[in-house]
Amino acid sequence: MTGRHPHPVLVPHGYRIGNWEVREPLASGAFATVYAGRAAAGADPALPRRAALKFLPTGTRTPRQLRHLRELSEREVEVLARLRTPRLIRMFETLTVDDPDHPELDGATVIVLERAEGSLDSVLAHDPRPASGPAMLAQVCEGLYQLHRAGWVHGDLKPANVLLMGDGSVRLADFNMAAELHGTHAYAPAFATPDYTAPELLWPEMDERGARVRPSADIWAFGVFAHLVLSGTFPLPGGSTEARADAATRYARGAEELRLSPGLPEPWRRIVLACLAPTHARRITAEPLLRLVERAADVPRSARLPRLRAPFRHRHPVVAALLAAALVLPASLVGGGYAYVHYDDGTPVYEALPAASRAPTRSGGATSFGYHRCPPDSVCFFSEHNGNGEMCDWRGDDADWPAGDRPCAWAGGGPVRSIFNNLADGRKRRDVAYYRGSDFEPAGFDRTREAQRTGCTKHQAMGNLAGTYAPRSHRLVASCAAGESSTVGRILSVLD
Amino acid sequence: MHSIIVVPPACAGPHDQIRIATGDRLTFGRASAGGGLAIAHEGVPRAAGEITAHLAFWLLSNLSEDQTYVVENPEGAGEHIKVAPGRVDAPVPFEFSRVVLPAAGDLLAFDVWAPRHAFRSVARSGLAGDLTAPAFALDRTKRYFAVLTALCEPRLRGEPHAPLPAVEQLVERLRPVWPTVTRSAVYWNIDYLAVKLRLRTDADGCGPARRANGKKDSLVSLALRFDLVHEGDLAVLGAARSEVAG
Repeated sequence: MTGRHPHPVLVPHGYRIGNWEVREPLASGAFATVYAGRAAAGADPALPRRAALKFLPTGTRTPRQLRHLRELSEREVEVLARLRTPRLIRMFETLTVDDPDHPELDGATVIVLERAEGSLDSVLAHDPRPASGPAMLAQVCEGLYQLHRAGWVHGDLKPANVLLMGDGSVRLADFNMAAELHGTHAYAPAFATPDYTAPELLWPEMDERGARVRPSADIWAFGVFAHLVLSGTFPLPGGSTEARADAATRYARGAEELRLSPGLPEPWRRIVLACLAPTHARRITAEPLLRLVERAADVPRSARLPRLRAPFRHRHPVVAALLAAALVLPASLVGGGYAYVHYDDGTPVYEALPAASRAPTRSGGATSFGYHRCPPDSVCFFSEHNGNGEMCDWRGDDADWPAGDRPCAWAGGGPVRSIFNNLADGRKRRDVAYYRGSDFEPAGFDRTREAQRTGCTKHQAMGNLAGTYAPRSHRLVASCAAGESSTVGRILSVLD
Repeated sequence: MHSIIVVPPACAGPHDQIRIATGDRLTFGRASAGGGLAIAHEGVPRAAGEITAHLAFWLLSNLSEDQTYVVENPEGAGEHIKVAPGRVDAPVPFEFSRVVLPAAGDLLAFDVWAPRHAFRSVARSGLAGDLTAPAFALDRTKRYFAVLTALCEPRLRGEPHAPLPAVEQLVERLRPVWPTVTRSAVYWNIDYLAVKLRLRTDADGCGPARRANGKKDSLVSLALRFDLVHEGDLAVLGAARSEVAG
């Protein structure tokens, strides 16, 4: 934008600023250039020996973009001065160049940052699908959560702004686009990286302060980012940024569907879908997202998050679950994620969808059904109402859904909302009973039921479930009418 | 924001404009009622042609039997393309276009805008990574840019609370670099800038004069806030205004 040189700010090698001596350039963004810095002789011993020096040309002799460059550097300094968390890059100090002999540098802002080994961008250039992807995503998500919790929107999440530290962890960087929330939204500076920009912000309406952004814009960017890291491709089709941006707006208008990469592993597909909801209101929020991501990445829960565990867990489990569900309701209404509580035995209870959003409708207003996807002679469980969403299907029993021959991964992190028993007529055992415990054992709420199971669906029946649980095992039974504890049921299944 | 805006002949206001997005088709012709663009003239075929929006540009199909259509760039000093009869999906590269149809001795025209034309820096093409790009892409060679610069001129010259120039003053100011400028041309460019910069439309006051003023205010605030024009751009207005003539 400014100048002809690839680096917007040229600083001579060996240039001295405060405690620092400038070394080689590390990276350049649209506005700033980052140089390696070495502690100069006589530097404050409390400072590290190496740092990254980010130069923003805010001097009075800088020909262009003075006003918003200053604003951009102020945004970054403010975020880093106020937020110090393990997932955000650390700032040591800020300096202003006072050097009339170098008019192009005079007045520049220098932000002294923790020195990283490189950005995720360069990692992806060599290895488009790094094995450490899930763990890195969990850390990026944690950083986003910390930022959102503090009332900020990052505004420019992308691989180039995720830095790799010496210990292999990653941190979020580059807060020039960050915006502090005022109520539900903030005003973003009018810059964006189109491939990571939520559709509502691609060609947003402007008022005099710019475009309004919400935290959900970062969530969209995280969805794109996760898809890229895990599959090596962008989630929206198109050979150029412009084409993908156009596809994103078409998707948001309902003119195109999302076709995620078949290479995207299952728990992540669900996560990416929750992030890439077409409207901001339907996107998951950072907190439930972090839960899902940590579970998918199989990393320990981050310690600083408050637990959702019900405080009443020694009382009657149903009461405890209902109370806890009431407590978490507002958060999950906003986020659309799965708020849940645990029984003592670890069985999750999910919150049911509000009635209005249970039946997905097509643009014409007709309810859409997905039961037809169920293969012949199978039982099928679905993640959404009316046979929509993810599907797991079996032809026989499964004593442990997460671990069996046909693992059903999505049910490990979300409820089952509908079922279709499509077993063939000729079978002797053609109803299906399901349990919240593995090995056809009752667990959690099942134990309070007379039949000691979650439910049973008759041959050729289909319908919506409560949507508050996911079974862990199911088996085919001769008849739902006979409880599994009854002798008749046992004898019939032995005969089969 | 829809990518392509078709402005019918004798268009009264933004409500008559037809906005289409990528993949959308708009037919035009004598019989194009109900969704299409109707051009009421005996010499125009019933289905004269079709416009398809595609990304930031658009495609023109000439469905007539024997007439060549011309697409002019009104700011392009005669720049134009010809679309032969039967040609399907000819890409049109202009930000502003005037589609001219010959019809029984008359020349009929309507306008098509492609406000999403993007401009990027080429200076940084060697850098790795996705570029954080400005949300606005203004073409500094276009007349709308001269109008915007003239609007911002008093404030760029260091009078932060200077009243905005009236349209008559803008016409005077622009005449040296744009001899054929008229009041309506200036109004047209202000309207187009509001589309280009995606000004919120709900902030409008009542009455046309109030609206025009509100629009100018918003344009100037936005342009200065995001440095869309700066002092160096005053060069597009030619020599500095002399105090006497001012």
